[in-house]
Amino acid sequence: MTGTTDTQARYYAGIRMVPFDLLKELVLALLGVAVLIAVLAAVLSAPDVPPVTIGSWSQADPVDFVTTASAELAGQSGTAQYGPPYNSTPDAAQALGPIVPQDWAGISTPIDTAKEFVLHPLELAATGNPTLTSALDTYNGADATHQQAWLDSYTKALDGATVENGQVTVAAGDYGPVPTLMGSLLGIARSGGLDALLLENGRFFQTDFTRPLLFMGDGNYMSNLAADQHLTGDQWGVMNETGSYPGQTWLWLYSVWYQLPPFNTAPNADLVIVLIVLALTTLLALVPFIPILRDIPRWVPVHKLIWRRYYRSV
Amino acid sequence: MDAPATYLNWAFILISIPNLLMILGMILLFIVALVAPFPHGSEEPGAGEQRHE
Repeated sequence: MTGTTDTQARYYAGIRMVPFDLLKELVLALLGVAVLIAVLAAVLSAPDVPPVTIGSWSQADPVDFVTTASAELAGQSGTAQYGPPYNSTPDAAQALGPIVPQDWAGISTPIDTAKEFVLHPLELAATGNPTLTSALDTYNGADATHQQAWLDSYTKALDGATVENGQVTVAAGDYGPVPTLMGSLLGIARSGGLDALLLENGRFFQTDFTRPLLFMGDGNYMSNLAADQHLTGDQWGVMNETGSYPGQTWLWLYSVWYQLPPFNTAPNADLVIVLIVLALTTLLALVPFIPILRDIPRWVPVHKLIWRRYYRSV
Repeated sequence: MDAPATYLNWAFILISIPNLLMILGMILLFIVALVAPFPHGSEEPGAGEQRHE
């Protein structure tokens, strides 16, 4: 210890020192920030927008719900064609040359949208309901070509759909059992039952909202609400907050790329932007070793402004 | 605070007034931190300083 002290004493010999109570400053800063947070929280409260559920969605916009459910059943929704981690849709993963982290991670959350979002909830609800049981048997007994033809016709007819007494009505056509299936699913959804069925995980606490969120994300209702609040990616959404609260301004470096070409139309924008920010972060960490960058503090001597009293005296 | 914020749009930049105020506030705080004197009690060079000998 004595040797170390001697070494330090020699190292600092002749250097003027200023006593400074760092602990005192730390405690005072923490107290100040804590008081500021408590006062601002008491005065401003926090964002409290009612959550969107499948129940509220199906009541507010039943046509959008049924259109989305038809796409889930047909395997044509965004989730159904997303690729990993939900399914193995070919060429769906974002890639940059040989860099395909989506594929590397594999299918960690397998989701069959037709089965999990539509058919399984209907099977559970079919008990004691001969009409629904028969419609399910007809649909499951038909070949894929018939199923697709029914769904295609029904989806086209939904463009002119009307809503009467909470039920979606389309022009007469050959839709097979699809209107019965969709009418039943809409009824379950409006009661809040579909939210519960999609959260079912076999455990006491149900905290995995992946499935209901994916289902809602495939429709237009939730994305329109997000757009109204400036929360979508092309609106710098990750930086914004609901209402008049300030958002996450520190995420500007991620968000800015999504507003600029070619990233705002690139199918692999997420991957490319993550790699760009990773490269910039690495560059920042290596500043002391990079010529020109490491010389900037000498050209822009901000430190001389902070310790101006010292620099005036030397 | 739950009322929708006003947004400013300039070319590709779209920013809410609350976010703009936060950014301006941070810049202002940075400038104040640069120019505000340390609380040493005296601006005289050498006041309160020790010298390692």
